[in-house]
Amino acid sequence: MSDPLYVKVFRFNPESDVAPKFDNFEMPVFNNMAILDVVMHIQNYLDRSLSFRFSCRIGMCGSCAMYVNGRARLACRTQVSALKTQNITIMPLPNFPIIRDLVVDMEPFFEKWKEIKPYYLPKKEINEPVTVRPDSNEREFIDDMLDCISCGCCYSACSMVATNKEYLGPAALNRAYTLIADKRDAIRVERLKVVDRSYGVWRCHTQFNCTEVCPKNIVSTRSIQNLKRRCVLRKFGIFK
Amino acid sequence: MEVIKTDILILGSGGAGLFAALRAYDSNPRLRIIMATKGLIGKSGCSRMVQGGLNVVLDEKDSLEKHFKDTLKGGGFINNQELAWTLVSEAPKTVHELEVKVGCFFDRAENGKIHQKAFAGQSFDRTVHVADLSGIQIVSRMTDQIFAREITVFEETRGLDLLRSKDEERIVGAILSNIRTGEIFVVNAKVTIVATGGSASMYKISAPSFDKTGDGMAMCFRAGAEFVDMEMVQFHPTGLIAGRSRLNGSLLEEGLRGSGARLYNGLGERFMERYDPEHLERSTRDRVARSCFMEIMAGRGTENSAVYLDASHLGAEFVEEKFPGMVERVKDIGKDLAREKVEVTPTAHYQMGGVGIDTRCQCNLKGLLVCGEDTGGTHGANRLGGNGICESTVYGRRAGEVAAALALEEDVHPYLDSQAEKIRMRWLKPFLQGSGENVYEIRDEIEDLMWEKAGLVRNGSKLTEAAHRLDQLLEKIDSAYVADRYRAQYNMEWNNIIDVTNLITVCRMVVNSARCREESRGAHYREDFPETDNEGWLKNIYQKMGDGFQLELTQKPVVLNRFKREEIEDRFFEKVKQH
Repeated sequence: MSDPLYVKVFRFNPESDVAPKFDNFEMPVFNNMAILDVVMHIQNYLDRSLSFRFSCRIGMCGSCAMYVNGRARLACRTQVSALKTQNITIMPLPNFPIIRDLVVDMEPFFEKWKEIKPYYLPKKEINEPVTVRPDSNEREFIDDMLDCISCGCCYSACSMVATNKEYLGPAALNRAYTLIADKRDAIRVERLKVVDRSYGVWRCHTQFNCTEVCPKNIVSTRSIQNLKRRCVLRKFGIFK
Repeated sequence: MEVIKTDILILGSGGAGLFAALRAYDSNPRLRIIMATKGLIGKSGCSRMVQGGLNVVLDEKDSLEKHFKDTLKGGGFINNQELAWTLVSEAPKTVHELEVKVGCFFDRAENGKIHQKAFAGQSFDRTVHVADLSGIQIVSRMTDQIFAREITVFEETRGLDLLRSKDEERIVGAILSNIRTGEIFVVNAKVTIVATGGSASMYKISAPSFDKTGDGMAMCFRAGAEFVDMEMVQFHPTGLIAGRSRLNGSLLEEGLRGSGARLYNGLGERFMERYDPEHLERSTRDRVARSCFMEIMAGRGTENSAVYLDASHLGAEFVEEKFPGMVERVKDIGKDLAREKVEVTPTAHYQMGGVGIDTRCQCNLKGLLVCGEDTGGTHGANRLGGNGICESTVYGRRAGEVAAALALEEDVHPYLDSQAEKIRMRWLKPFLQGSGENVYEIRDEIEDLMWEKAGLVRNGSKLTEAAHRLDQLLEKIDSAYVADRYRAQYNMEWNNIIDVTNLITVCRMVVNSARCREESRGAHYREDFPETDNEGWLKNIYQKMGDGFQLELTQKPVVLNRFKREEIEDRFFEKVKQH
């Protein structure tokens, strides 16, 4: 086999440790090895005290986001071979409190998610699934943005979140967009008011950090710009 | 121990748990509802991993009777017909609710109506979907609705065991553990709903999330619930081959075969021609999976002990447009699903067996409702693709309604402190012993044992060996210890010990039931009894805990109250037998 992997892993238990540290591990590489395989190998065979979070292992649940070699990624969808190096550094996602080792508290992310009223509320007159022809463009740029798995990668990568803890962040705003653009929804204007503030859409400086790291290829930056446009239109009295 | 009193306790936040919570709340917003979930809300378990979609009768050319007959036919006629009928007849209003109230948006057909795609074993194309990763939207939108309601959610909190009332007559909540802190506490509830999912992860090659370890089933077993047809474990025919990676066994969805993807063995033969010439790759999961397995066993597989799934003839553009999630997944292992054949293997996927319930999700224990994959009977001996998330949502919805009604009739019954304390000490044991067994070695052994001795092709002597070994492993896991014994916070090893204890508990039922059924039917294939024996075995096998954790088995004839087997003649059943 090829050279071994040299893995540096961030360790911290706020309950018992004075300060965080890094532990070093060495292990063989195998075909199709993902970062999730790396941390599982460590946990099962090298150091059973390591903690990390995962569930589905195929990029659908968004539980295993970690900061790997300087970038937020899903551990299960990051192939070791794609990193093109034998040296791997694994840390918890930035911008979140640490629960233990690689496990972060997602609370700040979901607090903001809840702030934009993420739940769909149907208009009174809608009692049946609406008829929408695929070529009607009515759902254009909603459906592609609905695949968010709330993994928090965008939130941890966003430099505006890092400097403004109040900022709603890319995922919540993208969710707001998918509802505000959904003509079935009853409280679109109310939602727009929630995002139309300093720590809402206007905090986004279009740096595309979120879009670069999204494992689902969601372009939150574009959703946010679409929201800004609607905010302006609402002030002109055009968006209702 | 901290004690929290509530009206309804729900264990699990997959499709069933989420729908139960929403429905219970909407039935009566004054109820106190607690939902505890092993992972983050909506992120644990398999509903979120649903790829294909949900079977439902929406088209006027389709009918409930057709969907019902397909379900019985697929299930080898040992389904609980009332459960199956409830499934198909309530699917339309459940899907309606998902679109109109919850806010899902399913893919549309050219005419603007909800699109329904082709799946296997169906007489009509009736699977609604969101591209090829439907579960993300279904579960995410339900989770968002939870946020709109006053429902208490305990994330990363797992059930350890159910609690019985002082008079031992009913279930009155559960003992739980907060994974983040390691604290153990009691939720004392009027009604408890178990919806934590199955445990196909007991097999070496498997498709579910790894945190699904039959926790709910094991808790129900230890509390005395009765199970039905536990031998029935579904293997999905097309799991991805990815070597030692955790991607191994993950699914390539059935819609590919529905759209015309083909299976070839290592010799390049389209082998389904031999096993089911009429339906070929669109035959039901049990048949296709077994056919793949037999090709591999006969030495006609690829060098990685696999067969090939080939979608390339459908046109690269078509595959990329219709199955973007699958294309991406295959790309992770360096292959191109749209342009080349890909190696696949049968992979353990789903448990048809589970706690026996009635159509109100009630089992033999008062105060306990069970819904979703934790239950048995709805799918009989084999589940149709697309009937899984259908079951979770239909029965989650029902459980929520029933729980809301029961919560009004009942008080919070007290539990026995001594029982709670005993359970707590039992689960803390791994921290107290300074040395002992390594849980990961035991888990690895179970996965190999189940795959080799209780997998797709079974026989009496292998099953007997497996049964004995599982009894030994159950003792072994009792002396497993936590290496990191001074820190209970997010202690993965401790949680793995609980997981594996639960897995073994469910494995024992699977193996024991499989030994008992001396015939082949649906997903259960015995090479020593290869025939389907409709004279002797149109029966369900029931099991529950007897003295000293032993298993008590009984058999009862299937209640064929809506249709007899002969009324839904299955012509290709006979042909399969010849191979």
